[in-house]
Amino acid sequence: MSSTRSPVHTLKISISGVRGVVGESLTPQLVVGFAQAFGCYVEGGIVLVGRDTRQTGEMVRQAVVGGLLASGCYVIDLGVVPVPTVLIAVKQLQADGAIAITASHNPAQWNALKFARSDGAFLNSFQATELLDVYHQGEFRLARTPEISRVDHDEHAIERHMQLVVDNTDVAAVRARKPRVVIDMCNGAGAVMSPQLLAALGCEVIALHGEPDGRFPHDPEPIAQNLRELCRTVRETGADVGFAQDADADRLAIVSERGRAIGEEFALAFACDTVCAQTPGLMVTNVSTSRMIDEVAARHGGRVLRTKVGEINVVEAMLRERAVIGGEGNGGVIYPQAHPCRDSMVGMALILAGLASRGTISSWVRSFRPSAMFKTKTECPSTRVQHAMAAARRQYADCRLDLTEGLKVLWPESGRWLHIRPSNTEPVIRVIGEGDTLREARQLCEDALAVLQPAIDS
Amino acid sequence: MASLKISITGVRGIVGETLDPRLLTNFAQAFGTLVGPATVLLSRDPRPSGPMVASCVTAGLLATGCRVVDVGICPTPAMQWAVKSTEAAGGIAVTAGHNALEWNALKFVREDGLYLNVNQGEELLNVLHQGEFRKATHDEIHSAVEYDPELGRRHAEVLARHVDSEAIDRAGFTVAVDCCNGACSDFSPRFLEALGCRVVPINTDLDQPFPHEPAPGPRNLGQLRALVAAARADVGFAHDADGDRLGIVTEDGGAPGDELTLCLATEAVLRRGDAGPVVTNVSTTHAVEAVAARYGRDVIRTRVGQSFVAEAALTNEAAVAGEGSGGVMFPRLNCAHDSLATLAHVLELMAHTGQPISRLVAALPRLHMMKLAIQCAPAKVSAVVERIREEAEEGVFGGTLDLEDGVKIVDEGTWVHVRASITEPVIRVISEAATQEAAESLAERFARRVRQAAT
Repeated sequence: MSSTRSPVHTLKISISGVRGVVGESLTPQLVVGFAQAFGCYVEGGIVLVGRDTRQTGEMVRQAVVGGLLASGCYVIDLGVVPVPTVLIAVKQLQADGAIAITASHNPAQWNALKFARSDGAFLNSFQATELLDVYHQGEFRLARTPEISRVDHDEHAIERHMQLVVDNTDVAAVRARKPRVVIDMCNGAGAVMSPQLLAALGCEVIALHGEPDGRFPHDPEPIAQNLRELCRTVRETGADVGFAQDADADRLAIVSERGRAIGEEFALAFACDTVCAQTPGLMVTNVSTSRMIDEVAARHGGRVLRTKVGEINVVEAMLRERAVIGGEGNGGVIYPQAHPCRDSMVGMALILAGLASRGTISSWVRSFRPSAMFKTKTECPSTRVQHAMAAARRQYADCRLDLTEGLKVLWPESGRWLHIRPSNTEPVIRVIGEGDTLREARQLCEDALAVLQPAIDS
Repeated sequence: MASLKISITGVRGIVGETLDPRLLTNFAQAFGTLVGPATVLLSRDPRPSGPMVASCVTAGLLATGCRVVDVGICPTPAMQWAVKSTEAAGGIAVTAGHNALEWNALKFVREDGLYLNVNQGEELLNVLHQGEFRKATHDEIHSAVEYDPELGRRHAEVLARHVDSEAIDRAGFTVAVDCCNGACSDFSPRFLEALGCRVVPINTDLDQPFPHEPAPGPRNLGQLRALVAAARADVGFAHDADGDRLGIVTEDGGAPGDELTLCLATEAVLRRGDAGPVVTNVSTTHAVEAVAARYGRDVIRTRVGQSFVAEAALTNEAAVAGEGSGGVMFPRLNCAHDSLATLAHVLELMAHTGQPISRLVAALPRLHMMKLAIQCAPAKVSAVVERIREEAEEGVFGGTLDLEDGVKIVDEGTWVHVRASITEPVIRVISEAATQEAAESLAERFARRVRQAAT
């Protein structure tokens, strides 16, 4: 259990933000320090603050606001909102940046700070490194009276986000179908918006865990093992679809009308299918995401670009290449016409619009070639990583390779692929495979481990 | 880095220079560790840096598992009263009192509404310096701060029952009040109206900076004197930024001075027969003794500092207590300097006697004070005071001695007090006599002796 780990190991300061266990490593000192560093980074500009529903959110928020004010920022507090709401508001309010307080899919004892820049995207790796340098140097900008500013509250960010989603959805199509939808919000930030949005789109809504009080009824990661209640409710109510959001409502999982969790990769595949059918164009995802997006491209005449893993890598490529849609296979749908960030609200809206002309979720699933992914990892001390990766590179030298990140091996005739990459956050090497069956996918991974393990151990 | 002052009464500094977020969260965590996990009240004065400081303090308190009730912008004595009157285990006031706008500070209040005393203040600093704070787990941390601006207002309602409100109402006073854009800006005019006064307020805009130094001494009362004259007010009152000290202007434009605020309050309380002695510090005017003597009461003198006076007032069940700074406390209500309570008692005195405030002031003994501050190398401060004390004990200066705080020599109606400042490397010499010349020459004589001993 992570809660029994020593404090040293529960703090993760990385390019994606600062994450830790409250009561152990995520202390007020650390939080004010990072807020001050960010205040320096944006040179005392306008900074938005939003948080998910975690019980520790208010403590962290107060520390963030204190640090930002001390560095001369004008703070606009959005309250409890989904992470995409914060990112959208940055652009709408022309702010200089934002701090989102959320540990996303992590369990309740965690919390985290995520830093966004003025275009409403998270900091990229260079910008995050710069922020860490400011933090470690520890010489913060200090505002004096009367420069020191105040906090205002904006209670309309959710309305504006909802309007943005509605404006970018074929609402007529959804209304005509009037789907019955079960939504499991895990008592997370989605609860402040999802039922209203679904109703506005013309759905009949059955809400599960819609109290934004941060008491997670299950781990907030929207993976199959956490969706049992949702599956049962979909069956019992005869719903057309079930949706599950994580605590900050950036990721989305789908349950079919038969009450089956169809796997996290389908959110992106369905959303891409919907958009690309109307506007065929470039789609962007990371190297570890399912091949189903390639099927969508072939089906509608689109193209696929793959980037390193990480939301900001996908987002920056999408902006640069003017992609029509993209995202990540963990349920993160990014629709730049609305806003270039992972947004489960946009994801639900696109999928419901697509569902209107595609029968059922199950038949939509069947329209794709059968596919299964297998994910595993093996511990690897940082000193052995290069060696292990070199061994893998030698092993697969004759195959078709994609070296965007780590090593991706492709077998185009069979549609199989294998991705081997060292983790950025833990001393492990991740191994992911996809094939027509789970057995095939597992076999790909086991073959890879058989190559990696001797190199790690030698 | 000279603008940071950490003392037993709290931590004070210039925001943007020394009073930074990390220091603030550390202090709040230390306080939360000391008193919690429990309910802690939080108040602030309207300084622009208040929201920053309050946020950092809240984060620190929440992290230790405390429940935070934020009473908002509120006079410090009203918050102290609320701590005493609720189940709160303590309070933190975010206010630099009479200091200039760029300063801010934390003042720590204990369960009974008094500031921490010396021992408790030292304990807090020990927790702070040890740096091992209580870390509440995620499910112990309170998920919200409670905002309760009404809690501070109840102080005024209770206060109205402590004085003869009917008599004040019948008198129909016109009252000019200068709130210095401070914490009393809303509270004081509202309270005076509730007492039936016609209120002529000035400087009641919380969004504006202080129009003058927030200490309500005579040199900062120019605007109020003009207002009293223009409005033909019966009396003028001046609050400092956080509502502990009160300055008074008479209907004829006179400003009797900080020291007489306590004397008027003492007259009001003893006249109506409240039981108990009067408590003040060794450096406050002996006019207090003269007033107390009219009613056959004792005066108990303590070391300089609100916490010493407050504790003595509590243990001696004083009728009234206070200091020469214009801070007066009414122990039946609360052992805290309280400008709203002070003005209520002064109004009651005016109503009961039917006399104008200038006559009430004129009836007080006319004494004159001289206050000098002599720079001294920090290493020598104690030795110099000790030297003066030895000489006094040898009888070099005559008179009777009070060694409660430094050296005080009393000779009939005249006295001189020599003590080390607790905040600066300075030795203070304060004297009082029947004439200004006598007070000055007495103070100068001891100042010379101090300078000699210091070199």
